Amino acid sequence: MKKIFFTLALTFLGVFAMAQNATLPTGISLKTLDGKTVQSSVIQNEGKPIIISFWATWCKPCNSELDAIKEVYEEWQESTGVKLVAVSIDDARSSARVKPWVDGKDWPYEVYLDPNKDLARAMNVGADVPYAFIINGKGEIVWQHKGYQPGSEEELIEAVKKVLAEEE
Amino acid sequence: MKQLFKLLLASLFFTFQFSIVNYVSGQGILGGHVTGNIQLDGQISHRDTVIGSDDVPQKLLSNARADILYTNGNFSAGLRYEAYLGPMLGFRPDYEGQGIANYFVSYKKENFAVTAGHFYEQFGNGMALRAYEDRYLGIDNALRGLNVMYSPTSGIIFKGVIGRQRHFWMESNGVVRGLDAEFSLNDIVKPWAESKTRLTLGGSFVSKYEDATYDWIPANVPGYKVNLPLNVATTAVRMDLAHGGFGLKAEYAHKSQDPNDLNNYIFREGNVLWMSASYSQRGLSANIQAKRVDNMGFRSARTESYTEMLFINYIPAISKQHTYSFLSMYPYATQSMGEMGLTGDFMYKFKKETLLGGKYGTDIHINASLIKGLDTVDAGGRGTEGYTSSFFGTGDTYYGDLSVEVAKKLNSSLKLVATYGYVVFNPVIEGHLGDLHHNHVVVADLTWKLNKKNSIRFEAEWMGSDSKYETNIDDKRAGDWIMGLIEYNLAPSWFVSVSDQYAYNDGIGNYYNISVGYTKGATRLQVGYGKQREGIICIGGVCRNVPASNGLTFSLTTSF
Repeated sequence: MKKIFFTLALTFLGVFAMAQNATLPTGISLKTLDGKTVQSSVIQNEGKPIIISFWATWCKPCNSELDAIKEVYEEWQESTGVKLVAVSIDDARSSARVKPWVDGKDWPYEVYLDPNKDLARAMNVGADVPYAFIINGKGEIVWQHKGYQPGSEEELIEAVKKVLAEEE
Repeated sequence: MKQLFKLLLASLFFTFQFSIVNYVSGQGILGGHVTGNIQLDGQISHRDTVIGSDDVPQKLLSNARADILYTNGNFSAGLRYEAYLGPMLGFRPDYEGQGIANYFVSYKKENFAVTAGHFYEQFGNGMALRAYEDRYLGIDNALRGLNVMYSPTSGIIFKGVIGRQRHFWMESNGVVRGLDAEFSLNDIVKPWAESKTRLTLGGSFVSKYEDATYDWIPANVPGYKVNLPLNVATTAVRMDLAHGGFGLKAEYAHKSQDPNDLNNYIFREGNVLWMSASYSQRGLSANIQAKRVDNMGFRSARTESYTEMLFINYIPAISKQHTYSFLSMYPYATQSMGEMGLTGDFMYKFKKETLLGGKYGTDIHINASLIKGLDTVDAGGRGTEGYTSSFFGTGDTYYGDLSVEVAKKLNSSLKLVATYGYVVFNPVIEGHLGDLHHNHVVVADLTWKLNKKNSIRFEAEWMGSDSKYETNIDDKRAGDWIMGLIEYNLAPSWFVSVSDQYAYNDGIGNYYNISVGYTKGATRLQVGYGKQREGIICIGGVCRNVPASNGLTFSLTTSF
């Protein structure tokens, strides 16, 4: 009897393992910095990879990460075509500060608000930011990393390059 | 016979299994994805009479949870298992236990979504309704019921919810019903489609039903009892206007008579007004926010006043959420019974190759806030209006702060952030009587990038306070403090940090900590050893008390 259960479980596991990568969740509402509600499917980059970075104004490492990437972002875009989408999980306490914050920091990213963490929850971000994902040209989540330390952006762009190489 | 039966059963199982697998691969059910995340936090704490920590009888306290999510196209389903086998210090003992705390099935398309089971939702800024979760605060007010979203055309969104709120391992008696509509006028009014001015309007109606057969609360007048309303409604309207770099946001909410434990069963109606105005351009931004709250605690159980659970709405604090230890030592908590506040934020980037910008540019960030009580006049006890208040009148100062932060890259490997902060704090916001505390804080935060992967961060903080331990024995935060921290980072995986906070004058306590962390992809393990001061942690103006602890903590998180 036990054996049967084992076989059953194993087969299921096998099928699960065969499933391809998870994709970017659809049908989740986000807000633009202008206050308009949009769906998560607006996150697009014409078949090129996308970095999604969850952050908050009150999170120091998040700000360090987005500041550091700003310095090399043009270079990244030229060499890989990657686009960074910064999703803020600031709640009502600070979400009104996000637009001025992004402008004040002069960040060149596409930014959305996720004030009740709907997208973060659907992507299993857990409680802590920063949290970065790479989405490949087919919309699949192919890489993720929690936290930021000075220099981690090197690993991020290497991962983007690897994703591009695999797609070719 | 038995053997035969077994064989039969086995073959049945296999047939069943094959048919499932076939069905699954044919229909693509397992072409969907199983994802999830797991968090395990644990703590071992010992007695320390100086900081006031105690031995814990279980030795090991832990909070554990796993979210499992299944997604296939527009369909998703999920559940969360939680286990608090000895909830960690600072979490309500009511969490003790384990089980499936959250489950749902959901179908989501671009213009239509329905969720049955547990869900989180926010209308506008949350002043009428916000079901949310914050695992570090131990707050989960998920609604269990039905949540529907429908967008008939681009720019118009309707939402409807009905459900009961989670209350630890139980559910509140109150039923929460809500409707929300949002109109993005640029999408609706054709000639405005290309306008630089963007306008979004919204409105919500949220009602709570709770029976009251069991408690008619005696009024102050002998021989009378308070007639509790069974239905309480909150109505809210909001706007969001943007024009280039200008932004104006506002929300107003009004609550009908809602006598409850928190407001001492008065029949006064409640309201809240919040406004934000901002201007920004590349490298420059300014934001001003104002808020007035009057008797606006809205909960799904009128007797709930002891814990931070069962709030239907969310009234955020507007003061800045400080991150440095000493600046956040006396944090502000929203007074949903009544407060008035004003806050301003200014950021400027001195460009490269200018006098103040130097070779790499300089960032400056100034923030100030002031929060006061309402100017109220007593108008009777329970069963009456309770009090009256003038709209623009202010009462006691609850909280004030000013911070100036300068961030500067000194050379290719050194970055300095220097901060000065001033905090005025009224202990009444934590429910104690006492004089205002005035604190000055200075922070120097230096990051030294040795090479591409190695960096060291030094942080030094000082706080001078007029709160003395001798006169404020209950408050372990009293006194003047210094702190030092060294953190070594090996990107992208390792960190080690050592820190010490010491009350060198008029206070007590020496809080040292050492922690090590390892991250690989979505998995992170962190282990710490040291002392934690009793105090209050706040996220978004919602706070919880954390008792002192002395010992080991660990945290393992992963996503898949």
